[in-house]
Amino acid sequence: MTAFSADLGDTGERRRTSDAPLAITDLIDEATVQSIAEEAWLALVGEEEYLLPLPGGPADDAVSSWVEVVGPWTGTVVITTGRSTAEELSRALLKEHAPPVLDAEDVDDALGELANVVGGNVKAVLPGPSALGLPEVGNAPEVTDPADVVRIDVLWRGQSLSISVQGSAGALPDPYENHENEVPL
Amino acid sequence: MKILVADDSRVMRQIVIRTLRQAGYDDHDIVEAEDGADALAKVGSEKPDLILSDWNMPNMTGIECLQALRASGSAVPFGFVTSEGSPEMREKAANAGAMFLIAKPFNEDTFKEHLDGVIA
Repeated sequence: MTAFSADLGDTGERRRTSDAPLAITDLIDEATVQSIAEEAWLALVGEEEYLLPLPGGPADDAVSSWVEVVGPWTGTVVITTGRSTAEELSRALLKEHAPPVLDAEDVDDALGELANVVGGNVKAVLPGPSALGLPEVGNAPEVTDPADVVRIDVLWRGQSLSISVQGSAGALPDPYENHENEVPL
Repeated sequence: MKILVADDSRVMRQIVIRTLRQAGYDDHDIVEAEDGADALAKVGSEKPDLILSDWNMPNMTGIECLQALRASGSAVPFGFVTSEGSPEMREKAANAGAMFLIAKPFNEDTFKEHLDGVIA
């Protein structure tokens, strides 16, 4: 449990007092996303691994991982970086267990797990109850409402990486879509 | 002591195992499971002394695995290592019979805090 949820513990009151859809900008800010990401990087990637809050421009050969949050606010938490940076992240996470040649499955697994950890901690500061989906990797989900996005652009080991918390109110989930693996609360 | 580590992410299983060693628990047998159903099967075949399990996994979630274990009469010590640590989840975990819930990200100090006294 992070300190963030204690600071921003939410009872869903905002939802009950207004019928207006929740915008992510009212629920979380860039500094909180940055803190969550930094904590995840220091614990999982390494003690000397910092995320510098500097935009590095679009990553070459970008790949994204994300987890969906479904609740009073519904959207995705997306990490996007270059494929080579994703491979470097995988090696950093696996450390001595990293094989000489990484396969795509390892890279997807590592990038997905980072989205899972960041997404789980983002979810903790959002109004509940909500459910977290399993990590997915590929081309990032489209931003449906630019006003419903909180995004940070950082540099890790000098390479561009972005984390976007983006609503999907304009793209409501298919009610028949399989969500059986999400966490029921 | 035999410890079963259940997580659908191979990378995260490696991180959990590495953190166990960093926390000083480096003299134990480790068994890995890739989801709740695999963990449930390996409780029967491997007879672990402790289970460290992710919550959100395909096929069978960690909480479903724990509930199935307790329903079958198994009292094997069970703790969650999961990316979510809300009060509601901690309560649900405790009610189902979990000893603790470690939220990701974690470090060796977090492991020591929860596992000292559990791991001999």
